[in-house]
Amino acid sequence: MKPPPFKYARPESLDEVLGILSEYGDKARVLAGGQSLIPLLNFRLARPAVLVDIVLVTELRRLVVERGMLRVGAAVTQNAVERSSEVARFCPLLKKALPFVGHLQNRMRGTVAGSIAHADPAAEMPAVALALGATMVVRSATGVRQIPADRFFLGPFTTALAQDEILMEVRFPASKKTRAAVAEVAPRSGDFAIAGVAGELVTTRAGKVRDVSLALFGVGGSPQRLGEVEARLEGQRVTGDLLDQVAALTRRTARADSEDVHADAAYRARVSGELVRRALVEMTR
Amino acid sequence: MTSRPSHIGAHVARVEDDRLLSGGARFVADVSLPGMLDAAFYRSPLPHALIESVDTADAMGLPGVAGAFTADDMTDVSPFPDFDRNARPVAIFPLARGRVRYVGAPIAVVVAHDRYEAEDARDLVSAELEPLDPAVSVDEALAADAPLLYPEWPDNIVIQSAVTNPDAMAAFEGRTTVSGRYQVGRHAGVPMETRGVAAEYRDGRLTVWTSTQFPHIARTMLSYCLPLDETDIRVIAPDVGGGFGVKAEFYTEEVTIPWLAMRLGRPVRWIEDRREHLISACHARDLTLDLEAAVDGDGRFRAVRGMAIQDLGAAEMYPYGFSPAFAAVSQITGPYRIPHQSVGVIAVATNKTPCGAYRGFGIPEAVFAMERLMDKAADRLGIERREIRRRNLLGPDDLPYRTSSGAIVDSGSHRQAFEETARLTSESLDRWQARLAHDPHVRLGSGVVSYIEGVTPSYFATSGHWTSFDSCSVRMNPDGTAVVSVGVSTSGQGLESMLTSLAAEALGVGRDQVRIVMGDTDRTPYGLGSWGSRSTNVASGALREAADVVMDKATRIAAHLMEASPDDITVQDGRFSVRGTPGASVTWRDVATVANIRTIDLPEGVKPGMQATASYEPPGIEHHPDEFGRLNGCATYTNASHGAVVSVDVGTGKVRVLEYIVAHDCGTVINPQIVRGQVVGGIAQGIGGALLEKLHYDEWGNPMSTSFLDYHLPTATEIPNMVVRHFQSPAPAMPWGAKGSGEAGIIGPAPAIASAVEEALSDLGVAEITRTPITAPHVLSLVTSSVSAGRREERENSR
Repeated sequence: MKPPPFKYARPESLDEVLGILSEYGDKARVLAGGQSLIPLLNFRLARPAVLVDIVLVTELRRLVVERGMLRVGAAVTQNAVERSSEVARFCPLLKKALPFVGHLQNRMRGTVAGSIAHADPAAEMPAVALALGATMVVRSATGVRQIPADRFFLGPFTTALAQDEILMEVRFPASKKTRAAVAEVAPRSGDFAIAGVAGELVTTRAGKVRDVSLALFGVGGSPQRLGEVEARLEGQRVTGDLLDQVAALTRRTARADSEDVHADAAYRARVSGELVRRALVEMTR
Repeated sequence: MTSRPSHIGAHVARVEDDRLLSGGARFVADVSLPGMLDAAFYRSPLPHALIESVDTADAMGLPGVAGAFTADDMTDVSPFPDFDRNARPVAIFPLARGRVRYVGAPIAVVVAHDRYEAEDARDLVSAELEPLDPAVSVDEALAADAPLLYPEWPDNIVIQSAVTNPDAMAAFEGRTTVSGRYQVGRHAGVPMETRGVAAEYRDGRLTVWTSTQFPHIARTMLSYCLPLDETDIRVIAPDVGGGFGVKAEFYTEEVTIPWLAMRLGRPVRWIEDRREHLISACHARDLTLDLEAAVDGDGRFRAVRGMAIQDLGAAEMYPYGFSPAFAAVSQITGPYRIPHQSVGVIAVATNKTPCGAYRGFGIPEAVFAMERLMDKAADRLGIERREIRRRNLLGPDDLPYRTSSGAIVDSGSHRQAFEETARLTSESLDRWQARLAHDPHVRLGSGVVSYIEGVTPSYFATSGHWTSFDSCSVRMNPDGTAVVSVGVSTSGQGLESMLTSLAAEALGVGRDQVRIVMGDTDRTPYGLGSWGSRSTNVASGALREAADVVMDKATRIAAHLMEASPDDITVQDGRFSVRGTPGASVTWRDVATVANIRTIDLPEGVKPGMQATASYEPPGIEHHPDEFGRLNGCATYTNASHGAVVSVDVGTGKVRVLEYIVAHDCGTVINPQIVRGQVVGGIAQGIGGALLEKLHYDEWGNPMSTSFLDYHLPTATEIPNMVVRHFQSPAPAMPWGAKGSGEAGIIGPAPAIASAVEEALSDLGVAEITRTPITAPHVLSLVTSSVSAGRREERENSR
């Protein structure tokens, strides 16, 4: 489990990063926290010619709230986000989801953007980005693009990022929803989820759901918004009957096509209904 | 000699921990020799194939590569001898010859300047493999048209023992029967330190550092395979980072690496990586027990019959991977009074990694099946699950008891341990019920199981060769300190501490005056190593015999120096005194100085020097079974009862162990901290096997659990608080009355947790849990099928 030979670059500016990416194309890989990429190298499943370590790029290390947006730079660690009081205020779901990402040791190195760019179907961060309607700001030597989360995740480990592009920043809109919840089932604490849901909602003063967003992870090849479920909930008071209906609707509409040694697709579909129920109970308690 | 404050049972810190915890330990990977090369293996990517050709030319072309070899190059190597005449010979060879039988089988080896380059070169090896149909399961391997793993055999059966005991069969007539098919999943010991071998050949002598539990056996095996005498081989087991039975196998890599060092004239090292470990170090369990019991109406078991079916993988493992199946049968009735048994064994070769040893060695499988059957019988007869055990457990009046498998249960606290565990478990369940009453998702349950664990087993039954002895050498230095060298060897479990206490006890010296030597064939007398919870028994037996010789001599010298009778000499804390004569004393230093330096002062008839070596064969062990497979294969029998308190999330199926209770009896406890550590660690591993660990294969024989991403070991969050109580029923025939404690902890968790999960879900009427691991999807499927069955019933009733 030693990686094949590769070149290692550690530029200090974004322009240098983009220059290397445009020169090497699909032979280059961006290295942030390395929590997924380094094992892939050691398994020789990834064989990049050059690793571009972005840890020293100042422009990518910003974590700020600007114009109603929480902006998380590509090199910002999950732990830094988890500890930020602004994140807790502007994006409670993000704060709530981070403790589910690996273990503290992983989050000390792993980055929010890296997790999103890696697009593991069982990871929490892509689902959070989807639930929150985040925008991915991607750069190449030729320009900037902004890709909304619902067009970013294309499948397992597959995103809309082009080979010469870097996910420079993730922008989370400041949430108007007051309640957030994450529910997941994983073999052990800190494991990738077999299935999970990240969601947030706000209720009217009368206790009816005014706005809700829910995204599943682990169930299908990429995170999925539960549009029908959300629509079913809008304007409703969350009762036991409604929860039963919503759980059933989740089971029916969830795209459950992930199967591995830990669980088949049927389990994932079944448990996703239960997890949505639990998340809703937590958010309306 | 008179009584004195004892080292036995004293709460003293482990002597090895400073070294192990401060980075002072030296593992195989720490061995660094001038000019040393690193090896990497090219392993079979196919589960079953013929090797047409292997091309290493490209690999040889890389800079830094010193050589690339296949079986064809090993013209001076002999295959492993096949000692067991009842098993079909597999003639294990270090690199695959002609055929590969599992993904991970070594086909070629590349040696380079470092491991990076070795792996680069390994990737350039290409083998032309002609794929063959694989037999991935026992059913496939036993099918009439099954592909043969060993084409010279008529089928894929490695060994079988069909037992028909007429007394057992007769007991089934007219009685209630309960039966089940119980499967313990394929998992393995997975020590923190993977395997590793380093070798150097200099001045006609081979030195091999290997991460093994049995250096002397490794040396013997090396001398069989390489053209060297044993005296020209030195095997060193340095610090070993966990063994668990995985390293009580002799592996082909342990021949290949020394052979490379001889061939290349340079030191060579191979440190196994985790992916290799999960596909090429021995797997274990994967045993199915088809078991049926004849039960009286009051719940008393009268007989069991059935079959132990071992999915052996490719069978290329020595000592034999089928031995745990025989061990399971040899203790199938556990601590219960069950007069008759008729249980056979069949071990079948399949295209998976070969199975071998793992802590527990068949007993976890036996106890899982027996305890599941107890629960089933209780439910069937309407007897409370703990009550049925009371009616079957051995009591003090039954002991010694010869079980239906021939095991002689010499002593134990079977009922006491059970009652204590049952009581503590009930109390724990009540506490947790109150604590979790608010959680609508979970239901709680508990299960209590009991078992015996045969310790210090016959090695003949496992290896077809050795019996069960071990050796110890005691040498007193002129300054009165002691060097104690033994044939057993440590893999972190605390043997140094245990032997230090025993040597201090036997020699009347302080613990700080004792130095233990092990794990080096040049520096220790021949022995069989550490496995089978044997080290305490065999090392202490040999130690005591050697110490007796030394003490006899020391007493005579001390008596001479004090002009007293040897009969009046006592020793304590390094000082010899004369009974009834206060003030008269000489030190161990005085005595040892006379023995070694001031030999001019020796009494007449006493020869110089102060050392003795003894070998000890534990008494009472049988090595050949009778016609019904019965034998007393172990020196003595540890017993324990385990209680698990669990919660089951009925929405997800997830099982959490809330608390775990143990009443454990390994006879005399020599070091309480070490015994507790063994029990607690064993339970943690047992919980892993019960809930998490499985080495998955797909239907074509491809391994699916090749990293810790997919092979889930328990971590701190999965391990509950444990309550450990000790009983001490000394083993009558063992030195100091001790019994082994190394494997007991791992035996109870699977059946205790299975029973607890069933109890938690009892009002849902879930189906029986018959296999491990008990994963969340598995539990949820049981809940779902019982709920939908219930709904169907409701609908039908309302019609």
